[in-house]
Amino acid sequence: MLRLEDISVQLGAFRLKNISLHVEPGAYLVLLGPTGTGKTVLLETIAGLHRPTGGKTWINGKDATHWPPEKRHLGVVYQDYALFPHLTVHENIAFGLHLEKKPRGEINKTVEEMAGFLEIGHLLKRRPGRLSGGEQQRVALARALVLKPYVLLLDEPLSALDRLTRGRLRRELKRIHGELGVTIFHITHDLPEAFFLADYLVIMKDGSILQEDRPEMVLRRPLSRTVAELLGIENVLPGTKEGKKYLSGLGILDIAELPSPEAEERAEAVYFSVPGWSVEIFPEKGENPYVWKGEMRLAGMNFMDGYVELDLAYPSGEQLRTSLSRRELGNLRVSIAVGASVPVGILKEGVHWFPR
Amino acid sequence: MRNFKAVIWCLSTILILMIVIPLARMMIAADPAILKTTVSEPEVYFSILLTLRSALWATLVCAVFGIPLAYVLARWKFPGKSLVQGVIDLPVMIPHTAAGIALLMVYGRRFFLGKAFGKLGVGFVGTEAGISLAMAFVSLPFLVNAARDGFLSVDPRLERVARTLGATPWRSFFKVSLPLTWRPILSGAIMMWARGISEFGAVIVLAYHPMTAPILIWERFQSYGLKYARPVAVVLILLCLIIFSLLRWLARRPREA
Repeated sequence: MLRLEDISVQLGAFRLKNISLHVEPGAYLVLLGPTGTGKTVLLETIAGLHRPTGGKTWINGKDATHWPPEKRHLGVVYQDYALFPHLTVHENIAFGLHLEKKPRGEINKTVEEMAGFLEIGHLLKRRPGRLSGGEQQRVALARALVLKPYVLLLDEPLSALDRLTRGRLRRELKRIHGELGVTIFHITHDLPEAFFLADYLVIMKDGSILQEDRPEMVLRRPLSRTVAELLGIENVLPGTKEGKKYLSGLGILDIAELPSPEAEERAEAVYFSVPGWSVEIFPEKGENPYVWKGEMRLAGMNFMDGYVELDLAYPSGEQLRTSLSRRELGNLRVSIAVGASVPVGILKEGVHWFPR
Repeated sequence: MRNFKAVIWCLSTILILMIVIPLARMMIAADPAILKTTVSEPEVYFSILLTLRSALWATLVCAVFGIPLAYVLARWKFPGKSLVQGVIDLPVMIPHTAAGIALLMVYGRRFFLGKAFGKLGVGFVGTEAGISLAMAFVSLPFLVNAARDGFLSVDPRLERVARTLGATPWRSFFKVSLPLTWRPILSGAIMMWARGISEFGAVIVLAYHPMTAPILIWERFQSYGLKYARPVAVVLILLCLIIFSLLRWLARRPREA
């Protein structure tokens, strides 16, 4: 459907470096990266709004590198919606259909159907300035979707919305993708949004793609410390690898499964990726699903919205962070307090290493 | 708070009075009977019409070139952009008689440009075209700057979205950029027209005849004194007040319903 081959873009001091990507028909691809990393530049380059300095763009098997935006047939929805303020909602949605010179009756029918689908039928006569953020976003989606684009390009579409509306629209995007079968390329810096929506995840930073795979695979096996941090993995511990022996500041970790043979050859200095959910306090006795067990000092407790964040310190200076729901905290057999020594176990599942 | 408001009001009022008092004094002193006779004088009638028409032509022709220039200044980056911006503002800064002399040297009969236009049947010395040219030269910045600010206030992403929805750059300009900028453009055009009407220095150098209203007022003042100059000035001011109030009302921002 959409393929980028070694795309490079230079915009002032900013540079996108050799981006290659393949968006399969019907996919929901999410490009995740921090703000200022070049996501919007990449999206606008795909849309034909910036000229790449190198590489090729393929749309539906055709070399579209030099096509102007109006020939690419890709829909764009921006973070702040970019609705035409001088036109009504109906005129906004019909904008592209008018340019395609469709008969008026057909335009009205298409606009009304799409407005019905996105539940904005009652807003058609209004001007965008008087709509809520969520309503404006639906209008922007309708305006792009009525043209049946090859790929819908979404630039941080939920970032400007309040939490409640964001949650609602996130589900709405999933419904649109499911029911219309449209291919979506969605960029965001929001981790939960990315995992909720993506069936393919691309991690980007400083103008380069760091890793891409199905979301669960990326989460299970981040390939670098940067990716692990971007994915919000709470603990990234430096360590070493000697043959099949893995040493960290906590001592020996019993890791059996190795992420990639090619990495194994290279690496001696490594990082261990330890997600918070794999760190358990008061681990089970008997069974042994753990790569490490030991006593740690509870160095801090932060009460958050619905959960408690625990900072654990080991005598070597190594620290771990985990969290418990309020309920889990209440169900603990013993009460814990800052400064107390608690038994800690790191679950095998979720832990993995990558070269430093 | 009270003191603050009082001081601000006081200072603003002084400035307004500075404009209003001389104009009011002139109006009050005008004898309605003389005003009526003045309006019906062919020389006055012709001169005011000529002034309004020449300034209008200057504005319309400059709009054709000035709106694209304003768009370029608002949207594109290029080397020497601030220099171009400075050049546009230059006519506001230089003495207008100097501007008139500069125009005379280029569009007069001795320079090739003046000669070339002459061969096409367009002369600028002592003609209505010359009046429009002088007016355009000194008042162009009002239109270009207002239009540029107008384009700057339009989010470029609206144009980008229009392109992705199938609009060519032309379509995007005419369907999105221009409709969103017409108010500042009209406002700039009104200012340019107004500035053109009031122009004296550049016009008198390039085209003393046919006489525009400001030149007629000056000539009557020089030859016959205040009593004969005043009625023409009053008529011109009243006419401008009516026209510009109407145009300003048209170009006003719509109130958010």
